[in-house]
Amino acid sequence: MTISRGAVYWGKKLLLFLLSVLLLSVAVFCVSRWAPGDPLVSYYGDRVEKMSPEERAWAEDQLGLNDPLPVQYVRWLTGALQGDFGISYKYKMDVVEVIGSRIGNTLILGGIGFLLIFTLALLLGILCAWREDGLLDRILCKVGTVTSCIPEFWLSLVLILIFAVWLRWLPSSGAYSIGKSGDLSDRAVHLILPLTVVVINHLWYYAYMIRNRILEEVRADYVLLARAKGLGKGSVLFRHCLRNAIPSYLSIMAISLPHVLGGTYIVETVFSYPGIGTLSYESARYQDYNLLMLLCLLTGVVVILCNMAAQAINERIDPRMRSGETGEVTRR
Amino acid sequence: MKDDGFVIVGVRETPPPPAPRREPWYRGKPLFAGGVLGVIVLGCLLCGLFIPGDPSYMDLANASAAPGRAFLFGTDTMGRDIFSMIWYGGRVSLLIGVAGAAISTAVAVVLGAVSGCAPAWLDALLMRLTELFLSVPNLLLVVFLQAILGEASVLSISLVIGLTSWTSMAKVVRTEVRQLRSSEYVVAARSMGGGFFHILWRHLIPNFLSSIMFMVVMNVRSAIAAESTLSFMGIGLPLEVVTWGSMLSLSEKALLSGAWWIILVPGIFLVTTLLCLTSLGSYLRKAANRKERNL
Repeated sequence: MTISRGAVYWGKKLLLFLLSVLLLSVAVFCVSRWAPGDPLVSYYGDRVEKMSPEERAWAEDQLGLNDPLPVQYVRWLTGALQGDFGISYKYKMDVVEVIGSRIGNTLILGGIGFLLIFTLALLLGILCAWREDGLLDRILCKVGTVTSCIPEFWLSLVLILIFAVWLRWLPSSGAYSIGKSGDLSDRAVHLILPLTVVVINHLWYYAYMIRNRILEEVRADYVLLARAKGLGKGSVLFRHCLRNAIPSYLSIMAISLPHVLGGTYIVETVFSYPGIGTLSYESARYQDYNLLMLLCLLTGVVVILCNMAAQAINERIDPRMRSGETGEVTRR
Repeated sequence: MKDDGFVIVGVRETPPPPAPRREPWYRGKPLFAGGVLGVIVLGCLLCGLFIPGDPSYMDLANASAAPGRAFLFGTDTMGRDIFSMIWYGGRVSLLIGVAGAAISTAVAVVLGAVSGCAPAWLDALLMRLTELFLSVPNLLLVVFLQAILGEASVLSISLVIGLTSWTSMAKVVRTEVRQLRSSEYVVAARSMGGGFFHILWRHLIPNFLSSIMFMVVMNVRSAIAAESTLSFMGIGLPLEVVTWGSMLSLSEKALLSGAWWIILVPGIFLVTTLLCLTSLGSYLRKAANRKERNL
């Protein structure tokens, strides 16, 4: 009984996931095709200007851009299902290869950034909650509000100005110096500034959240009971309050993973860091259809998966959420 | 019997309780932020009065001049006076912030209310679509919309920003409407033949306005930030339209020549405005939640 129910549950989730991805691919496909702009420019570059109409027609035919939209979509889908996502018009390479050569950089930046945000926010939140309304808490709150207001591109500019132009301590762009792509310390030096921007930009939002969550918890009745039993302040905070606050923090962080990854896009462009962000920006601007499709699908899949993970965590915490809103419908 | 064992004293005199100290009216209100924001807004609106010159006049002989007597905040790489650009540009930036927030609020309220009132399947469908919408990276959406709407203008960029930032508010509106829709006065209005928009305007919006008010202010903030980011990246307004963002798009060149004022001055104005809006917003949020907390 329970097994079959579980199977149905996960089956439903899987179905929903596949449906969402399919819908997403249709939407991105249509929108990118409707958007004005000439994909031939990204394939042939400036030579497009000199092409005769016949040559143009031949080139479009060659790339399969003349067929009606549904035909193009079905062709893309059948290819995609067999693992063939087409070639990038700009790089004249398999799309998977193009992305594969760049995705590592984004994962390093976004991944380290996410881990740092995750742990630092937790620590800061606990610290602030521990010293609620104390001097430290108030200072941190003020500083945090200010940092979360600074647009990330401007923060990047100011950091470049200070550390790369004035002090000349750190490099201002790229992921590694020319010819040193294997040198770890060189990469780390290039990572410092972008990473700082990513972390500073998101940190306070989550730290403040965990701070308020703990403060809510501290006011609950069981804390009074635990204190009355003679438990110390620290052990109540860590063993009881934190334990209650962590699950909701986890689900929020699951939702925020794509958010943090998306935040790296702008940072990547400012620092001309060779990652997914710069790539998707280029591909959207220059109608590099196949590349754009895969990039959108990748981000979309990550977002949908993270949302599902968050939902699963929430349902684990509070089984009432699983029934959804069926109770509300009848009440009308 | 002697009576003097008992003395009738009447009601014992008690000193009247000290009158509760009236909190000064400005207590806990973001006066400083409001004042600074007011100065910036007024300065931008009235800049025609105290700035004689044309902000887009290019004084090529004085390109990238450092701040000084002649140019209070210096000039940019094209020789334009940054001091006058700040105020004129602020007009456009603030306008885009307000317009973008108005558009996103309108979309969020209508969609959220429809979703909140709709039968379960439509509601589920709308919410799934919202999630799907969220899963496309915002930057790409903006590039798409920009491409569809054609040449960037103040209106098109507000539209783009408004259409990409309604989702979280729509969710809040939906939750609020779900709680309100079965209350007696809504049922009464409906049974008297009130249409959807009538009920929305007369009954629902006044009830959830306070809970989305801070999101509206925050949307103004994020619209201003979004405009500056887009213009900076070169997919927003062109250089000729002076805004804080388009002023910052010259900063790549400024980095090479070390002209820090081109980067710092517009940025400081931008960040100050965002900061003021944030503290106004968080004040509104606290005001809306005041009843629930016993602190």
